[in-house]
Amino acid sequence: MTALAEEARREPASAWPGLPDEVLQHILFYVSPSDLLSNVQCTSKRFCRLASEPLLWRHHCQVRFTYWDSKHRIRQKFTGNVGDVDWKTLYMHRKRVEAETATILDSIIEGQVDRIQKFKMIADFGYDAKDTLLNHCRVSETAEDVLARRYYANAVLDHVHRSKALAEWKKLLRGEPVPLERALGSFDLFVLHDQHGDLLEISEIFDDLASTLRAEHPYLGQLSTRKKALTVVRYLRHRNLTGLSTELAYRDLQNTFIGIALQDQEHPSLPLISVAIFCVLAQRIGIDARCCGIPNHVHAMVFSPNDETLDGLPVLPGSAQSDPMYLDPYRSEEEVPIQSLRRMLSEWGLQPSQHAEYLGDSSTPNVILRTSRNILATVHDFRAHHGNAENTGHPTIRLHANPFADLDNAFYAALWANYIFGNPFRRSEGTTQSQFIPLILERFERLYPMDASLIEQHIVPSYNNPTNAQHWELREALRVVRAADQTPKQLRLRNTRAAQEGVKYKVGQVFRHRRYAYTAVITGWDIECGMDSDWISINHVDSLARGRHQSFYHALVEDTSIRYVAEENIEIIEPEIPVSLMSLAGRFFKRWDRENRMFVSNIRDEYPED
Amino acid sequence: MAASESTRITLVSNDGAEVHVERNVAERSMLIKNMMEDLGEAAMTQSVPIPNVNESVLKKVIEWCEHHKNDPPAAADDDSDSRKKTTDIEEWDQKFMQVDQEMLFEIILASNYLDIKPLLDVGCKTVANMIKGKSPEEIRKTFNITNDFTPEEEEQIRRENEWAEDR
Repeated sequence: MTALAEEARREPASAWPGLPDEVLQHILFYVSPSDLLSNVQCTSKRFCRLASEPLLWRHHCQVRFTYWDSKHRIRQKFTGNVGDVDWKTLYMHRKRVEAETATILDSIIEGQVDRIQKFKMIADFGYDAKDTLLNHCRVSETAEDVLARRYYANAVLDHVHRSKALAEWKKLLRGEPVPLERALGSFDLFVLHDQHGDLLEISEIFDDLASTLRAEHPYLGQLSTRKKALTVVRYLRHRNLTGLSTELAYRDLQNTFIGIALQDQEHPSLPLISVAIFCVLAQRIGIDARCCGIPNHVHAMVFSPNDETLDGLPVLPGSAQSDPMYLDPYRSEEEVPIQSLRRMLSEWGLQPSQHAEYLGDSSTPNVILRTSRNILATVHDFRAHHGNAENTGHPTIRLHANPFADLDNAFYAALWANYIFGNPFRRSEGTTQSQFIPLILERFERLYPMDASLIEQHIVPSYNNPTNAQHWELREALRVVRAADQTPKQLRLRNTRAAQEGVKYKVGQVFRHRRYAYTAVITGWDIECGMDSDWISINHVDSLARGRHQSFYHALVEDTSIRYVAEENIEIIEPEIPVSLMSLAGRFFKRWDRENRMFVSNIRDEYPED
Repeated sequence: MAASESTRITLVSNDGAEVHVERNVAERSMLIKNMMEDLGEAAMTQSVPIPNVNESVLKKVIEWCEHHKNDPPAAADDDSDSRKKTTDIEEWDQKFMQVDQEMLFEIILASNYLDIKPLLDVGCKTVANMIKGKSPEEIRKTFNITNDFTPEEEEQIRRENEWAEDR
């Protein structure tokens, strides 16, 4: 027992300060961080010292936060020497980020002006802001602004995720090592929202798969490379972790995301994703496995170690390296003989001299490009078949949120991937990088204005030459979006006779379109058609019963689009809950009012009387 | 083990009182458990001195051990940093801890000395709950702490942590 404690025992009246440090320390572990900082450490020098112990603050850092920005290298810090890190300061940094993120988010929700800058302020915190954003994404159903809060917390988080994904791809582009699961997982980041499946979490799933595999096959290390590879593919197939249940589902959007393939109950994946899952797991147990870029159907290939063959025999000096083995984890647990691959290539009309090119391994950027093409194909199929009576029910969009929003997000990811890894120079065949810029800009203007900073960071520097047409196109798009963001909304009052008599419906009412039958919510109105004469003639406005001189409404539709609708086409409906609009409505509305069966406006700065 | 469960041993407090207790109850204390293992058979016939704990505290501690004798043993590596610490206390323990501050202090010291981790935890949680939400001045008063900061030092600490006020 310490001298202090002995002394305390003789003087019970002053007992508390007499407790030994170790016991006080133990007590302080149960005291909340805010009590420690604002109260306990202010009581005396000794308590100030005890309440600043690194061990205590490492504990709070560990249990109170899940996500950390990569700049902290937090994993190294947690496993390193506790005294090497100023844990208390780190904790306080995180609390400050938390408080600032919450304040900025409040202000994003509150008014429609200057949101781009506010998004950027939060995004600059990087992943340090993610825990706070997740809390707001999951705010209680009873919150007064539940829909707006969830929507904008998700929107900021999506933007943070996209920044991360693009940074990851840029790393790869610079030639830095990026594990395959992170390169492909970056697609997941575009559609992830508040769900589980971030890059680190995908890597952890593979770590867990690898340790279970090792536990089930304790002698794995003694097997030859060929047998090891077959063990891995069988392990994956027995868990249904590769392939699809039916070829009808081939173009389903969820098949192109490695994080979804790993976590979804049915584990759907295209050949490419199946191969990637195999390669990543195989690499975890020391196999040199890579993707093979055979057209149409990606295969996996396994190379022998330097000094021995795939069957574990020593390689004689001077003899050629043995052929790799091929696998098709998407549909089989057996090895694919190279002859059958050659036969297939010949059937496609390729000369044997060309085979080597197709039977070699594929670089990670190529794997990313192929994935983006798979996404584009699904988007194309979906748009072609949607609403078609003969359709098979596929492709489906089953990611994490509203399917139309998911489709937009996936498409946007594919555009960025093509931009980053696309060919910067025009060739006779194929696409070039710059072709994707207008496509990205179109979506930026319509759906992702907060990505101005990403466009400035990743696209603008390559087009800095004012003689280049793209240069002006980019600058103009950014200028227009920023100007719109910074301009306060014009007040729309119902103080004229025309508005009082001519505008029947209010912002927040839900309607069905009389002709097209979609469901939408009113987000604004004009006393008469406010579009130019081109739009009026293309859309046959004058052939409407009431023509162009009737009130027109801006409306948010369940497919994420914003449309402009004549009053005569509006049929107000009063559903109990307009389910298909709930995840989108937060862009303009605070919550759903069950009593009046309409949304509660969050754009009073524009329509104060609605 | 049935036989050893009913074996009684004798503890002697620092004020000379003999306390008789079932061996498995006393062995909630890791200190006593280790002593018993070291002493072997001799422990059955000899009394075991507990030089740092007086009779009333020792009896109180044993009352706790008695009530908790059938608790499952804590996992070997349970006090990991990776789990959030809760200050919830089960009802019986809450009542048990409704003692004057001096006794609470003595129980914590004794459980620390005797190495009864779950009891130490309950004691520490009780104190932590007494700290919860109190101002520095209230904490000083409650726990008889002397403020040895200069006004400037105190002001500086307060300023550094202004943002930490509950929001």
